[in-house]
Amino acid sequence: MSTPSTAVPVHPAAPSATNTGMTPPPAQSARSRTTERVIGLLALVGTVCTVWLGLWVTPPDRTQGDLVRLVYVHPGVAWVALYLAFGLAAVSSILYLWPRTRSLFWDRLAAASVEVGVVFNICTLVSGSIWGKPTWGVWWAWDARLTLTAVLLVLFLGYLALRRIPAEPEVRARRSAFVALFAVLDVPLVHFSVNWWNTLHQGATVLNPGLTLKIHGSMAWTLLLGFVALTLVFVWMLLVRYRIGVLEDWLDANELDAAVAERQAEGATPAGGAGAGDPLGSGRDPGDGAPSERVGVA
Amino acid sequence: MRYVNAGYAVILTLLFLYSVQLVWRRRRLDRAVARTASVGHGGLEPSPDGERGA
Repeated sequence: MSTPSTAVPVHPAAPSATNTGMTPPPAQSARSRTTERVIGLLALVGTVCTVWLGLWVTPPDRTQGDLVRLVYVHPGVAWVALYLAFGLAAVSSILYLWPRTRSLFWDRLAAASVEVGVVFNICTLVSGSIWGKPTWGVWWAWDARLTLTAVLLVLFLGYLALRRIPAEPEVRARRSAFVALFAVLDVPLVHFSVNWWNTLHQGATVLNPGLTLKIHGSMAWTLLLGFVALTLVFVWMLLVRYRIGVLEDWLDANELDAAVAERQAEGATPAGGAGAGDPLGSGRDPGDGAPSERVGVA
Repeated sequence: MRYVNAGYAVILTLLFLYSVQLVWRRRRLDRAVARTASVGHGGLEPSPDGERGA
């Protein structure tokens, strides 16, 4: 290896500060930002209206009393978690594994969808538990639907944990897709559990076998608004979380190049010349008395 | 009614905290990308405390 005659020799294979081979940083278009803000605003307005209608406008139920007010949000968060978020993750995973549509876009979308879905899944379990205490007398029962929903949460937490294991993007995407497809098998079990088994949990209010709405009037409209508002919240979170995935992937791919370039740029400046690569600041190798040969960061 | 209030409070708090965390994460990453890109393209961006290449 030949050593350049400059004050701070560099590794010939190391990229220069002006030619690092970095891809341009991922930019977000103004249109995309506007769309995101509009969806965010609509989600906020929808959520406020649902809370207002659910807590103050709709009447109490004949049998459940005021507890029916939890029904305006509990099925909504469950709908987002089970059907939208985990369903989208499954579709994205299939599209990633399908050779013709294979792209890291689908992997990022699946990851974003699962993370948001996990938050909604937690909301589902907690709100269901709070409804269960005054209704059933217990915070938790090992009922088929509740247990399968908890299993779903654990499976997708495992998915998120798997993604934290360092690996090449393609390897991570492939194994994550398989795990997502395995985990999502639990969703139909959760859905049909109230029909297949004699469970404590009540049957479906909207998505029942006959698709007959078992709620009417202002209660039905509030429930519907809750579904729409929480769907908008999900879409907004998904857009932001997807953007985070794009930025993280870009940093993973370019941070090392940038660190090398930064190190070289520091060494190229006269002020940092003698001691830039030498922790002792002497510019000499303390061992054999000859000028030290520094190499770039590998 | 306290169970109803608790249910709404828990859901809204969780969603709000997660939203704030998402926005905070994105801002932090936007700054990191801008800093990395400026280094990679030859210009060391001064850090807020005035040091080069922060």
